[in-house]
Order: sequence, then structure tokens, then C-alpha cells
Amino acid sequence: MKIMDSATRLALAGALATVVAGLAAPAFAQADDMEKCYGIALKGQNDCKAGAGTTCAGSASIDYQGNSWKLVPKGTCVTMELPDGRKGSLEALDRDLPKA
Amino acid sequence: MPQLADPQGGFAAALLDHAAALPPGLVAPSGWPVERRFRVYRNNVLAGLGSALELRFPVVRRLVGEAFFRAMARDFVLAAPPRSPLLLHYGEGLPAFIEGFAPAAELPYLADVARLENAWWRAYHAAEARPIEPAALAVTEPATLLMASAQLHPSLQLVTSPHPIVAIWATNTQDETVRPITAWTAQDALVSRPGAAVELRSLPPGGYRFLAALLAGASFAAAAEAAQAASAQFDLACNLKGMLEAGALVGIRPGAELEAGS
Amino acid sequence: MPSTLPCRAGVGLKPEHYRTILAEAPAVGFFEVHAENYMGAGGPPHRYLSAIRERYPLSLHGVGLSIGADRPLDLAHLARLKALIQRYEPSQFSEHLAWSSHGEVFLNDLLPLPYTDATLARIVDHVGQVQDALGQRLLLENPSTYVRFEESSWSEIDFLAEIARRSGCGLLLDVNNVFVSATNHGFAAEAYVDAFPLGEVGEIHLGGHAPEADEAGAVLLIDAHDRAVADPVWQLYERVPQRTGPLPTLIEWDDQVPAWPELLAEARRADACLAAARPHKQPRETRRAAAG
Repeated sequence: MKIMDSATRLALAGALATVVAGLAAPAFAQADDMEKCYGIALKGQNDCKAGAGTTCAGSASIDYQGNSWKLVPKGTCVTMELPDGRKGSLEALDRDLPKA
Repeated sequence: MPQLADPQGGFAAALLDHAAALPPGLVAPSGWPVERRFRVYRNNVLAGLGSALELRFPVVRRLVGEAFFRAMARDFVLAAPPRSPLLLHYGEGLPAFIEGFAPAAELPYLADVARLENAWWRAYHAAEARPIEPAALAVTEPATLLMASAQLHPSLQLVTSPHPIVAIWATNTQDETVRPITAWTAQDALVSRPGAAVELRSLPPGGYRFLAALLAGASFAAAAEAAQAASAQFDLACNLKGMLEAGALVGIRPGAELEAGS
Repeated sequence: MPSTLPCRAGVGLKPEHYRTILAEAPAVGFFEVHAENYMGAGGPPHRYLSAIRERYPLSLHGVGLSIGADRPLDLAHLARLKALIQRYEPSQFSEHLAWSSHGEVFLNDLLPLPYTDATLARIVDHVGQVQDALGQRLLLENPSTYVRFEESSWSEIDFLAEIARRSGCGLLLDVNNVFVSATNHGFAAEAYVDAFPLGEVGEIHLGGHAPEADEAGAVLLIDAHDRAVADPVWQLYERVPQRTGPLPTLIEWDDQVPAWPELLAEARRADACLAAARPHKQPRETRRAAAG
């Protein structure tokens, strides 16, 4: 292994000192804080129920591969603040979905 | 007729290929048609797996909207159905799928946001481990640490991106109305779950290379060198402090040369 | 290992209710979870389940073993189940008369089977293999179905009874599934329950269903678990403990999950039915109380 130069060793020694000095002892999960004790409770993904939408959603009602309509993302608009204060859109244009 | 030799294979194929004919031999009472009844099963497959993906990728879903997400999820499910009954592993392939998904091409950051959500999910379900106390590092000689490699927390995940994925993730997770991104810069992310809660941080210059090298088993010295090579702004102290704050370090393994008696 | 689930109402454990359950410690007979949701390495699901398991009996319900598949069982999955059972020591384990995987592909639904001699032999083998691997008796659940197979030569009841007889497994009677299938296939739900091998039943499931229609306009019920148990399903349910005495009874509510009190009210209603079936109670009065 390559021997570290003295500058790096010095930097590392400084780093260790900073790490210890700059960090208070981390508080471990408090027993009275459920969120902290157990964390965010996300739904499980395996189920034994029939799916929502049942007989219709499984049909060809959504079909952007066909000729019915072109699918475009229409969610939250991610924008960037431009230097002159305008907002630049990085999102798809807000086009109407052609009707099926 | 292949269905006769492999009836479940025929049934499974018809579930995943909506243009396929119904499997033979299905009946409904009084000779009523069976197509809509079979469609309940088709829908169960799509709806259940689509919900699993929605749960795992809430930010992607918000970025594209519900209709788009469902259509994309449907395509993904039909192209890449799960290979395990553990649905908590399902969706690993969605980022790569998004990259090749033409309707999403207008959102070049979408695949990397999906990668970040994958990382968050893996950290959520990762094995438990107790991060090292920072004080324990204080008694470590710098030379010892340099030659040592890191025992990293099993929840540790890294994502690198040319897009501000952490900022996009944060505003779409926490804000009712998303805020504009103030600087469109590359962001690398560190995801960890040192205790009960998943934590997400953006990494300083060189941080990704430093931690990626440690993950690959490099010594701290070698990892620092790789990081310095990647970015002149790499700050070892800052990165060590950050990785301890994130609970990313579980222990250190002494380097071979030191064990040999230096 | 005999089932030790209490003969009371239990509730399907949903993450939405973790904190309420831990904070309020409601009087519930047991909780049931889907095994596959707790097969991650660690994290909040295990933290919550461990905390709840310390306080309540647990029933483990598998949805991914694909016992009815015409392929060999997934031994890796069986090993995961065994590990989960060792970790949480549930009072019992149940699975479905269905298939859900084909080869490598997991289809994420409980798919229907033709009731033939060949299917029977295969399922008896698979059930035996599961029981040997897990070292305990399995309960096998009757399915909700939307289609039937021309080639079926057994009735579902005889088929389940024969599986139980040959493999030694017990049965889980899902009363909502009986009602859903009876409606979808035009048979009498009461006659099904009356003819069911109730002596083998170790647990009952109750859940909500969604009404739809097929293309001919016939009612098609969907086993959606997204609402309260329907009144005719409650009436059907009452027939069971009247014959068997009280049995562990689970309320399943997996979608559009309600606030905890609403779910608890369903469990209380099941408890009232069970109490009405206890021999030392006066049936008429307690039954009236249950209905009210």
C-alpha cells in the first residue's frame, strides 16, 4: 500500500480531533418517542385481497401504446430559479391529454 | 396444445398478456361469459403490483402524476413481473426501466430520483446494526485508521446523480406545494438508517467517491486518495464527521500491514 | 404443535394502527400478519411487530407459498417462513388453497385451481412438505374464486376435507370467501357452511367484499377487504360457532383501512357472536345483544 504523505496524516489527525470535539454523544432512541423507537410505519406490500378497480382497471382502458392518447407526465412541476429571477420549467409542457 | 400440457403456464401467460386468449376450460354458472371474471385476476395482478410500486416510489409518483405512474407501472409489471414472493424487493428495476421509457424522457432526473427512492427503501428494510460511538474513533491512532478499512452499516446506500435529486426528493416529500430548486447542481446522496428512522443527506465534493471506495473495501487512506483525485475540494474531516453523524460506520478493520506488526 | 390462538376475535395488523395498539393496548384476542411483509432483514416492520408480539398472541398468514402450484415448492421461501416462525413463535400458520407463482414469476394473486385427483395429490404432497419443514400443522384456507374449471371432479368442500384427511392439516374457513364464491358461482352459501368439515377448522376469517357485475349483468363479488363485513356474511358466520363453539375469528380489512375504533367495533361484533355461542350463555339474549 502506498504510504500516506505527512500532510495527509496531519489532516487525518486533525479530522479525528474535529470529529470527536464537534460531535456531542448521539442520543439513542428515546423510549417515550414512538416514531423514534420504531420508525415510520409503511404499509406491507403483500396482501391477500383483490385489487382496487377490479374488473375495469385490468382491461385495456389505459393504453398509451395504442392510438387513443399520448401519455405525458402531469405531476408536480420541478422548476429552477434562473439568475434573472424567472423560473425555468424543467417539466413537460402542460398539454391536455387527448381524449380516448 | 401447450395449455393442456401446462395449464398454469397458460393461465399465467394470459394474466400477463392482455391480448392473449383466455385459458381454456374456464366456466361461469349458467354458461355466463367468463371474460370479465378472468379479468378480475388480470386486474388483481396489475393493481396489487402497481400499489406496491406506488408505495415504494411516492416521489416519482408525485413527479409524474397518478395517471402517468399507473400506466408506467402497468408497463413495468407486464415487462418485469416479480421474481420473488417478497414484494418488498419488487421495483429494484424501475429506475433502469424509466431510463428506457420514452414517455418519461422529458424528465431526465426521474430515473435518478427513483434510484434514490430505491436506496431509501433498502435502508428502511436493512438489517439492524449499532453504529460506532464517535468517542471510539478518538482513541484510534491516525496511522491505524489510515490503514484500516470500514465496517459500514448494512443500511448504508449511496446514489450519485448529475441532477439535484436530494432537493427534488425533499420538496416532493415535505412540501404541500413544491419549492423551486435554487441551484440546478449535481447531488450525491447518502441514505442510512442507524436506528429506527431512515436518514437522507447530500454529500460534499468527493464524498461519494470516498464512501463508495470504503464500501468496496478500500482502506481509509486509499478511499481518501480516490476522493481527492475525484475532487480537489474533498475534505476528509468533514466526510468523517458526516459519516459518523449518519451512523454509517459500525467499526473498523485493522489493515493487513498493521496486523503484520507495524 | 397445536394451535393456541384464543377463541376470540382477532384483527389483521395494519401499519396504520401500530402506534394506537401500542399506546392503548386494546383488548383484542390476537393479531394476524401476512408473513411476507415481515421478511425484510430489519427495520420498522420488525420493531413494531416485536413490540406487539410481546403483548399479544400472533397468527401468521402466508400469501406467497403457492401451495397449489404445479411446480415444486419454493424451498428458499419455506426456509424464510421457518425462520420467521422461530423468531416470532406464532400460535399458528395458515396458507391458501391457491397458487400464486409460476416458475420464477410471482403473480401476486391467489389463483384458482381445478379440483381434480391430480391437483389433490399435488397439494397433499405440498402441504405435507410444508408441515414437515415447519414442524407444525398448517391451516389451509378456502378461496374466493371468480371462475371455475370444467375439468373439476370434486366439490370444493370434499376437496378440502380430503386434503385435511390425507395430509393432517387443519382448515381455515373464510366465511366471506364462501359468500363471495357462492354468489359468483350460484350455489347456496348456507349449505356450503353446513357441509364444511367444521371439525378441522382452526380459525375463521371475516372480511368485506365489493359488489360488481359481469358482462351479463350478473352480480360478481370481489374479495376486496376494503370495507366492513357485510350483514349476510355475519349471518352466515353465526352458523359456525353455533355448531363448533367459539373459534378464533379474524377481521380482515386490508384496503381503505379505517380508523382503529371502526376496526375494533368489527372485532367486538365477532366477539359478541362467539359469546352467544358459548354453552353457558343464554343463546337468545346474547344473540340479541350481538345484533344490537
